[in-house]
Amino acid sequence: MEQHVLTPNGQTCLQKLLKVWFEFDLALSKVGIIKRLEQGKLSQADYQKLLLNLRQQVIEGSRWITRCASSFDRDHSDIRSSVIHHAKDEHKDYLMLERDYVSAGGHLEDIQTAEKNIGSEALHGFLMYRASQPNPTDLIGAMWIVEGLGNKMAAKWASLVDEQFGVEPSMTTFMKYHGENDEHHLEELYQLIDRVATNEHVIAKIEKTAKVVARLYSLQLEEVDNV
Amino acid sequence: MEVYITSTGNHLPGPAINNDQIEKVLGLINGKPSRLKHKILQSNGIKTRHYAINEQHQTTISNSAMASLAGNECIENSSVAKNTIQMLSCATSQGDLVLPGFGSMVQAELDLSGVELHSSHGICSSSMMALKAAFTSIKAGCNNNALVIASELSSRLFKHTRYEALEQQEVDFNAEFLRWMLSDGAGALMLEDTPATSGTSLRIDWVKSYSHADVYPTCMSVGTPKQAGGKTWQDYPTYGDAEKDGALLLRQDVRLLDNIINVGVQGYLKVLDEQQLSANSIDHVLCHYSSKYFKSKIFELLNMANCMIPEDRWYTNLYERGNTGCASIFIMLDEFLKTQTYKAGDTIFCMVPESGRFNCAYMHLTVVEK
Repeated sequence: MEQHVLTPNGQTCLQKLLKVWFEFDLALSKVGIIKRLEQGKLSQADYQKLLLNLRQQVIEGSRWITRCASSFDRDHSDIRSSVIHHAKDEHKDYLMLERDYVSAGGHLEDIQTAEKNIGSEALHGFLMYRASQPNPTDLIGAMWIVEGLGNKMAAKWASLVDEQFGVEPSMTTFMKYHGENDEHHLEELYQLIDRVATNEHVIAKIEKTAKVVARLYSLQLEEVDNV
Repeated sequence: MEVYITSTGNHLPGPAINNDQIEKVLGLINGKPSRLKHKILQSNGIKTRHYAINEQHQTTISNSAMASLAGNECIENSSVAKNTIQMLSCATSQGDLVLPGFGSMVQAELDLSGVELHSSHGICSSSMMALKAAFTSIKAGCNNNALVIASELSSRLFKHTRYEALEQQEVDFNAEFLRWMLSDGAGALMLEDTPATSGTSLRIDWVKSYSHADVYPTCMSVGTPKQAGGKTWQDYPTYGDAEKDGALLLRQDVRLLDNIINVGVQGYLKVLDEQQLSANSIDHVLCHYSSKYFKSKIFELLNMANCMIPEDRWYTNLYERGNTGCASIFIMLDEFLKTQTYKAGDTIFCMVPESGRFNCAYMHLTVVEK
């Protein structure tokens, strides 16, 4: 396998991020709705609920990433370019998600008018706050969690949903598309890690932000019924 | 108090059985050769293994007797007199009897007097749990030495007649999968609070395990039918009914199996962190992976995390000795010490990721020469 991250500091950072990811992966498997999904016990109503709650994060996701891009000064313009590119790629993904929601038997109006649950509020509040700080390099940690999740959705969740409900038109185009794209995004992320993880202090901040985002992301899925 | 492995031993029953001979021993299910066999063997890479049953399905040696032979070899290789052994700690996934504990049966076979006894029940990592019990007992000053034995006789589960007992259903993939993975054998280690008076000892620096039974469903089991719904073998009116429903077949939920890679590597990253250990400082790796397939997946992740231990430091005897469940890591360590090159100060890292319900055990050893 290719060596993605080359600098010693980048390697340390990647190792820490991978550890946070594994812990997040385990925590996620314990969240009610994900547990039902992974154990083949998801109802169609559950799947609708999952999409409805994911939509908030997808819409807000492109917002905090663009905010994050605008917070990088001229010394970090290369990072800004990369982040803008990332945001542009994803800022309309939610349309795909809405189509899947309708395929799963939901009403478009319901998903478009849904309120954020309390976990989503906390997640977006934190991300927008961090993205508004000058040169928010620690958000690499947030991107790591979100991109990793995209990968998991495509690889595991989409096939589980297909297996369980396997209907036409597909109900999992968003998850699959997100996963395919995220592979490319992960490559960009590796380069960013090399670029910003230059000392222990930055690495610690990236790790912490990854941990906070992982926890709040789980919370968003724990609170699917709590608006 | 330091704890050392001062001697090892093993027992592999009967002759080595190659891939073409497996079905001669285990038998053809409903008279037909398996369609899965080739695919699974290709993926796990195992070339030969041993069975404690013969072609007539007679048991040639019991599980406790195998354990005892490995234990005796270990005692003979050590300078500990049999009558001075203070603790016996044994592991298996399935003893010869349902009760009492496996350790009791092994103690009787070994004819050991007045030892403190421990039986560890579980799947692949149960040997490491038995070892940890002995390690902590010596560490706490409760005992000066302990004999640790792990033994498996899973072939009894794989006789064709077991599968043919199924009523109104086909043998499913999950029930057949392990038929081509597991075989029999025993391994033993002597633990002491001082290094051996001559030759090589291994100082046990630490043993650590992480269990994830709270996260995932059961992945490998005996005692529940294909469509479980909470029903176990003991909930049927008769044991015969349980067998007819497939509740006594050894099953692996292969869809859950991939999780073992993530939790295995996660545990590895955790111990690196907790023990302030770097991948570069590890001279030899003995990892109980059940198949070649997993080896490549583990390597991929370790490379990604940049904590890969160079491949030439990895040792396994899986392909020649088979996957003997909890006994594998001891049999591997025994053969490593007897056949490989190492020197005083070398570090050995042992890893046992278990898919039963996702328990991963790790151990760090340092070579000590006298």
